[in-house]
Amino acid sequence: MTMPEDFKTRLKIAKSKIKKKLNDDSENRASFMGNAFKLGTELVAAVAVGTIIGFILDGWFDTKPWLIIIFFFLGAAAGMLNVIRAANRMQKED
Amino acid sequence: MASNPMQQFTVYRIGPEIKIAGIDLSFTNASLFMVLSTSIILLFLFLGSKEKKIVPGKIQLMAEMFYNFVAKMISETAGSKAKPFFPFIFSLFMFVLFCNMVGMLPYSFTVTSHIIVTLIMALFIFIAVTIIGFVKHGFKYLSIFVPSGVPAVLLPLITIIEIISYLSRPVSLSVRLFANMMAGHTMLKVFGGFVVSLGILGGWLPLSFSVALTGLEILVAFLQAYVFAILTCIYLNDALNLHH
Repeated sequence: MTMPEDFKTRLKIAKSKIKKKLNDDSENRASFMGNAFKLGTELVAAVAVGTIIGFILDGWFDTKPWLIIIFFFLGAAAGMLNVIRAANRMQKED
Repeated sequence: MASNPMQQFTVYRIGPEIKIAGIDLSFTNASLFMVLSTSIILLFLFLGSKEKKIVPGKIQLMAEMFYNFVAKMISETAGSKAKPFFPFIFSLFMFVLFCNMVGMLPYSFTVTSHIIVTLIMALFIFIAVTIIGFVKHGFKYLSIFVPSGVPAVLLPLITIIEIISYLSRPVSLSVRLFANMMAGHTMLKVFGGFVVSLGILGGWLPLSFSVALTGLEILVAFLQAYVFAILTCIYLNDALNLHH
């Protein structure tokens, strides 16, 4: 089924109008907040997971408190890695 | 008058107590609102796809918008290989979105403000993605833990860090959604409480705040559903297209 030519041009104009609206300021500000929250949880989650792994391994090997300390820092490193990756993704999106 | 802002999160039993093998399987208000959101989605999509017109009506237009939105999101972030997973990601996005939106109605219950709900969804995604990765690539999937171009001395350390980073995915995915929803709803109730306690003279300021916060919360509800779905796509992309 073919669309009439007139309808096609009208659709194009309407679509470009919507695009302009979407690029508006208020929409962007909200997504900035979402991005900021994304980075925060990314960092915290890795630290928490690292610490929990250290705690469990300490229980297994009876090496309290060394592994929990080591894995806390490894978790922090993983968190920074996560944040860098997420930030790179965000830059690619823009 | 409910003055405790955390009271809105209590789960209580509706109807008879059902216990199977020591596990409480009673129907709660959380289950009720999950059923409610699912039925709203089904009704909405049924009405949207009932009449297939070339120039769509309002509901059909909205349904098609959601479809296009998710389809575009998948093809942009995970490529054409992720097409078979469209139904899963679409249902996930719609479920989270409608649970968040139904939670915005007064007197309702926000299912996604409970960490157990979001954690189960995130763990399911995490396990599914891991299985998909192993099925598609076999043991070569483990190479995502070993980035290329790293000196041999640092390799064990980097591998451990990568594994922790991989394991933190379900945690960050679930905590983000849960924390956003719970914090927002608590804040709304706190400001609502201020309106009542300050009375007709001083209550106008917190009232205007809570109107603004309601708008913000609706935006957050949509945004978090979007973030949840897009991160699923990104994890799926890592599993489908190995490139490290």
